[in-house]
Amino acid sequence: MEALWVVLPTGQRAAGGWIDDTLRQRAEERGLLSRTPLAGVFPRHRVEVVRAPDPIEEVNERFEARGWTDGLPVTPPTLARVEAMCAATARAPSEVLGEVEPLRGEATVEKVAANAVMAGCRPEHFPVVLAAVQAVLDPAFNMRGVQTTDENVAPLLIVSGPLAGRLGLNAGFGALGPGWRANATIGRAVRLVMLNLGGGWPGAVSLAGLGQPGRYTLCLAEREDSPWPALHVELGYRPEQTTVTVLRAETAINVTGGLAEVASVMASAASAFTMLHEGRVAVVVAPFVARRLAAEGWSKDDARRWLHEQARVPVAAWQSWWLRATARQWPAWVTGAAATLPVVKEAADITLVVAGADLAIPQLAYFPSWGFPPCGVTREVVAPIDLVG
Amino acid sequence: MLRASAVAEEAGVPSVSLTCEGFIGQAATTATGLGLPGLPVAVVPGHVDVQTVDELRANVLGVTVEGVIQGLTAAPDKTVELVEPEPGEVVFEGTADEINRFFYENSWSDGLPIVPPTAARVEEFLRRTDRDADETLGVLLPDRRLATVRTVAINGVMAGCRPEYMPVLIALVEAMADPRYGVEHSGNTPGAETLIVVNGPVIRRLGFNYQQGALRDGFQANTSIGRFWRLYLRNVAGFLPHRTDKATFGNTWRVVLAENEDALARIGWTTIAQDQGLAAGANAVTVSRFTGGTVLASVFGTRPEQMIPYLADGITRLVAWELMFTVGMALGAQRPLLVLSPILAETLARAGLTKQDVQRRLFEHARIPASRFERYIGEWTNLAPGRPTLGDLVARGRAAPLFAESDDPGRLVPVVARAEDIMVAVSGDPLRTNAYVFAHNGILGFPTTKPVRLPAR
Repeated sequence: MEALWVVLPTGQRAAGGWIDDTLRQRAEERGLLSRTPLAGVFPRHRVEVVRAPDPIEEVNERFEARGWTDGLPVTPPTLARVEAMCAATARAPSEVLGEVEPLRGEATVEKVAANAVMAGCRPEHFPVVLAAVQAVLDPAFNMRGVQTTDENVAPLLIVSGPLAGRLGLNAGFGALGPGWRANATIGRAVRLVMLNLGGGWPGAVSLAGLGQPGRYTLCLAEREDSPWPALHVELGYRPEQTTVTVLRAETAINVTGGLAEVASVMASAASAFTMLHEGRVAVVVAPFVARRLAAEGWSKDDARRWLHEQARVPVAAWQSWWLRATARQWPAWVTGAAATLPVVKEAADITLVVAGADLAIPQLAYFPSWGFPPCGVTREVVAPIDLVG
Repeated sequence: MLRASAVAEEAGVPSVSLTCEGFIGQAATTATGLGLPGLPVAVVPGHVDVQTVDELRANVLGVTVEGVIQGLTAAPDKTVELVEPEPGEVVFEGTADEINRFFYENSWSDGLPIVPPTAARVEEFLRRTDRDADETLGVLLPDRRLATVRTVAINGVMAGCRPEYMPVLIALVEAMADPRYGVEHSGNTPGAETLIVVNGPVIRRLGFNYQQGALRDGFQANTSIGRFWRLYLRNVAGFLPHRTDKATFGNTWRVVLAENEDALARIGWTTIAQDQGLAAGANAVTVSRFTGGTVLASVFGTRPEQMIPYLADGITRLVAWELMFTVGMALGAQRPLLVLSPILAETLARAGLTKQDVQRRLFEHARIPASRFERYIGEWTNLAPGRPTLGDLVARGRAAPLFAESDDPGRLVPVVARAEDIMVAVSGDPLRTNAYVFAHNGILGFPTTKPVRLPAR
């Protein structure tokens, strides 16, 4: 029989306990054990040896039954694969990046690597995963809220800078869709970290009512041929640096047209939580639109300001929203005397990036946000070791 | 720090432990071992030793204060029992290579091949003691695991011991669990290593080397029992590098030192075990943590007056920051060890000296200027904060009066509090005039002796 030596991807707390024991209790209380019959049933070691006629299948069966997958098949996090992943960073495998809320499994480099292997990442993708994990561990991301809320928020990962293209991150055709391994697996790795180290089990700990497809992966790159300054340069990084920026996104809403159409979508109930929480939103602008605006002399700031001014909710519409009556504490700039309400407090709360195909039927996307505090966390991506030099 | 907080909490006083950034993981594990997994910790960024007053103030106000408030106001976590294999449970089946890999990958081995602790091998070890396999020898921090006879056998097998070593291994774990030894300190940053000294007829019976190359590998009893000690610290007490073991450097386990009791008998000197209070001829182990050691080569001379100054100088050279265990908090806990080769001991004995005479002479000679003593603990280090003079410490009852017989900074003061604090052992090449000296880690591994009880049958 063949054997696979796999690194267990699940969360261990600083004090030694495993988050699975809490998850098993939650799953029992909520009648979810049919999905995860083996919750909490695993050897309490770093490494497990899986012997079976088809060990890859066996790892998948076991991990799924223990609640360690997103429902899709995983690549077994074998010692060799995890070591290769760790070799892409200068950080020690034992380094603790932080604790993942709400169940506070420690995000060691090795545990993150195991989840990245499972997600299908290549070793060169690992530095992006590490940067993204560091970003979501920043208190400003509010991991506890994101994991436990009944809303459907997911981390939106935007990679900006020259490494994006070198690592195969897609910023063009289908930048938010399937087909590119880097986009698919980096976003998925962050989700698996939230699942396996933070314990964000749907229905047990994560109480999102509907969820959203972005909870599998939500990761795109910014086009390098944008007529406007790149996101990371706007944030003060040098052009040759690469960053990952994480926002909390309720969903991705496709908008065909230009800024006016985006403004009309922004000024709708889709922005209800954004307004309630004074959130930061993202708008992906099609290259066709960006180029036309730039040719007309619009800077990125001009576009942002225009959206802030034009995306206005009539007070009467706001007053009719379900959330208006349910939530008591709205920001002063919402409850003031104005006849129309902006959806974000300031223009700077709109993150603009250029991505997607260069089509004459331009496609844009709006990402409303959820949750406190205002969130746009950026971390530099350190070049993977084998790409240095 | 965590242990002090635990005592405070048990007395009903809320605590927060100020913890430098590099120690957060250790703090969490230690707190769990103390039975208080939620023991609040407030982080001090970086390490205080290399920060200016302004940096420290900024760090404390910017980060630490919030942690203190959190720690004193938030509800702590509840205790969670960790799931561990049952005693005697088979945790893995496979080939010897697979077992080695599995144990290594799960941090149960030191990186060298282990002997697989199969049920049959463990059983063979257990037959060499009349104590019950499940008998508890003590509770070991930081993991607060029970030390049982069975886990002694398992780690003994892994270390490459022979079954007949079992009574020695049990005595060692009894010493490890003795509160006087202080096993909980074994993960401290200086990373000192334990030396085991063995006495009694077991030396010959189990084949310990006590002659030439006494601290060299190559002798199964000396080497494998030394390795056993460290494996037991790892697997039962729970000291893991990068977690609970914060040794800045550390080193490999020390090979067991067996005394040359033939030589001691010839010259009528007491053994280490006797000095520790056991009867002559008793089988015993003595454990003590030493921060480092060095050889004193080619001791020259035929009379004590010629030999003692060099030997005493070796002690003063080695006991430096460790003087924090001579005075201050750990008053009188510095116990350096001088190992004399038999020919040196015999030369001193021929001049009419008992071991106690040698200790007294070493005590007279192992002296340094008071200003230098003060510099080691209060200037080059901050181990005695506030740069107290020895006079200050005597006035506070934190040093023996002999450390302040005058206020001349150039006066000579001893490096230990009493003559008998200098331990003297006899071992090594019987005919070579070399000695070895170890500086001691004080209360963080205090000399602790346990008799080795052989089975009745």
